[in-house]
Amino acid sequence: MGDRDWNPLGYKTLYRELFKKHLNRQEMLMNMKRPVGWFFAFHPSELIYVFDLISAFPEQYSAYCAARGSSVDLIDASIATGYSHFLCDYFKTTIGAIIEPEKATKPLIPKPDFIVGSRALCVAHHEMADVFARYYNVPRFVVNYPYWTSDSLKNVDELTKEAEWADELYVEYTVKRLQKLVEFLEGIAGEFDEEKFKQVFKKSERTSKLLIEILKLMMSKPTPGSQREIGDFVFISFFVLGSDYALEFCQKAYEIIKERVKSGEGVSDERYRLLTFGIMPWHSLSLYEYCERMGANFPVNLYVNASVHLVDSKKPFESMVRRSMHFTNSSYEMLESIVKTARKADIDGALLLENTGCRITSMIIRPLADVLREELGVQSLILDAPQCDPRVMPMERAKTQIDAFIESLS
Amino acid sequence: MEGMEMREPFKNFYRIFRKREKITEYRNEGRKILGLLCNNIPEEIIHALGAVPVRLIGFYETTALANSKAPSWMCMYSRGVLEGALRGDFDFVDGIVSATTDDTKIQLFSSYKFYIKPSLAYLIQFPYVKDSLSREFFEKELERFVSILSKGLSAELSDEKLKNSIEIYNDYRKVCLELEKLRKEDSPKISSVEWFALILSSLAMLKDDFVKMVKEELERLTDFEGRNDFKIRIHLSGTDFYHLEILKILEECGMAVVSDDLCTSAGYYTGFVEGKDLRAVAKRYSECSACVMTLSHSGLSIEERLRFIKEKVRESKADAIVVLKDRGCEVCGHQCPWIVREADVPVLVLDLDFPVSVEQYRTRIEAFVEAHGGG
Repeated sequence: MGDRDWNPLGYKTLYRELFKKHLNRQEMLMNMKRPVGWFFAFHPSELIYVFDLISAFPEQYSAYCAARGSSVDLIDASIATGYSHFLCDYFKTTIGAIIEPEKATKPLIPKPDFIVGSRALCVAHHEMADVFARYYNVPRFVVNYPYWTSDSLKNVDELTKEAEWADELYVEYTVKRLQKLVEFLEGIAGEFDEEKFKQVFKKSERTSKLLIEILKLMMSKPTPGSQREIGDFVFISFFVLGSDYALEFCQKAYEIIKERVKSGEGVSDERYRLLTFGIMPWHSLSLYEYCERMGANFPVNLYVNASVHLVDSKKPFESMVRRSMHFTNSSYEMLESIVKTARKADIDGALLLENTGCRITSMIIRPLADVLREELGVQSLILDAPQCDPRVMPMERAKTQIDAFIESLS
Repeated sequence: MEGMEMREPFKNFYRIFRKREKITEYRNEGRKILGLLCNNIPEEIIHALGAVPVRLIGFYETTALANSKAPSWMCMYSRGVLEGALRGDFDFVDGIVSATTDDTKIQLFSSYKFYIKPSLAYLIQFPYVKDSLSREFFEKELERFVSILSKGLSAELSDEKLKNSIEIYNDYRKVCLELEKLRKEDSPKISSVEWFALILSSLAMLKDDFVKMVKEELERLTDFEGRNDFKIRIHLSGTDFYHLEILKILEECGMAVVSDDLCTSAGYYTGFVEGKDLRAVAKRYSECSACVMTLSHSGLSIEERLRFIKEKVRESKADAIVVLKDRGCEVCGHQCPWIVREADVPVLVLDLDFPVSVEQYRTRIEAFVEAHGGG
């Protein structure tokens, strides 16, 4: 199999700008001695900007450690302390960094003044929040989103998360808990500014629309971009949605991909279109490039798709609830929305990453593979791929499996 | 009491459990059976609607079918249930009920529903938080549960029926506490194997029948000779545990298990419903601190669990704790180091997976007993 030209969108520079602005903001707020909060994926990130909070994300920090090579030592430190091997890599890496900071990649994640736990993706987030709060002896607030089932949610759009119907009982309770979160944050960071809240949500709405448009454009033929670039969208949609710099990033990123699609250029000479799902293996992102160089492109990354939602600035609290209406937080009948996306993207196969220790993403993998095979007649390759532990996914082994899979598609 | 052999009437209870004798009987009577995937399901509601709530448990040494549909590192409980479901061993079940108490219970619910397609399936949404807003929500959630279940079972819930079921379940809890006393005497009258034979049987029959059967035997049990041949009194900690084989090893090595906080034992029956309506049921299930996932307004769930364990250890005069840490259990995985660190007594952690490495366990247990077992 030949090595084809690889032609990414060039978002690297945009990400660099984004991170720089994010870090500048953090530094400025540090100097102002603003409180530090720890948050998890699918939390209402807009509130960080409403309250001028310094935000820290154990998941993002762990991904950073994985990319820099320190996560293995940190995972080992956590297991040596008695935490189980089959727990989330993000948890093990962060705990490792707390217990043995000298082994962790610098700069270290700042110590929290408070923690916001949630269950918009997993109970593990809530359990982690408990453990971290106990280590640091800081207040912890829990937002409990429902796990959506076929009797509580109907016909969700896979990208926007707009639903034909959602049970009011759950929406109302979650909205009330989110309002309580605002009260909790007021107690920590000072008075709530209504006007600022509106402005942040307007920005969030514009950003969310652009994110969705970009992901729709990714489904063009040929696939315009690389998952090495698109994979990092989760940082924007999970953690900095509502910021100026997220909006700026998305505006530029949208223009770039729009032009790319207009010109009919692809990330590589496309032979196969693959759907992918699973938390990205942050230690080995070259995996995507490897596939793309062989002409196997990824018009759909369901994990990235799960991270976005359409924000309605006129209904901010309902939008925060909508954030939880992704297929990884829904019973498996909801996989029908995935089939629609996969059909639209005209996929030839799927590369599914089983994240050891993550029950949410791993348990749904085989049903997903079954649905894709039964509904679309496409095959899946399932790889053991914990997001921070490269020992379980040696690249050479992964490449061999991918080679064989791609050969089977021809 | 000499040796580790299970005596009557425990043998009888265990046979009822393993052979599902009562369940077969109920089915033959035309009753609907609902399989539960968690200990924290408000069974009173199911019972009051005329159905039979039973805990689904799968005993398999290998779980090849489950491993083809879910990761092999998941907890033994979930693999066992999925294996049983895929083999068709749970065909006696008309529906399933689970709860959002941990990730595995949620995903197991989805997986079961996806592959087996039971006609009735409900996932109870727990609020985790114990403030008034969440309590109110949980009451409504149980009303929703009643409404969906009533439709599925073609039955109606009345105040009277619910009151009656609450009384039966409270009776059951009283009986368990009575039995607990025999277990934690200075010379324990019930061995751990016998204890679990008894308690597990209660998960596979109507509580009315269990209470009746136990009451008939209670006098006989009280007269049993206590056990004096042990070296150390143990509190057993963990989640969904049901393997008597491991208990046998503990006992053979000189341990007497006098209390526990397991989801299939004390974590299940602890806590009365104080009241006669749905509101009281909601209060009991959202406040039950025996569960590893509930948490108070002021504290963390780990702290609640530690308090529960320490209280159990104190009451039972346990000398040490043995943690049965299922390798795939997320709850054990997060909480175990805290139990080890903060317990007031020595702790032995046993990593659990199947097939059981008998000799490895035995060596570790013997060494622990030697170190902490006194004379």
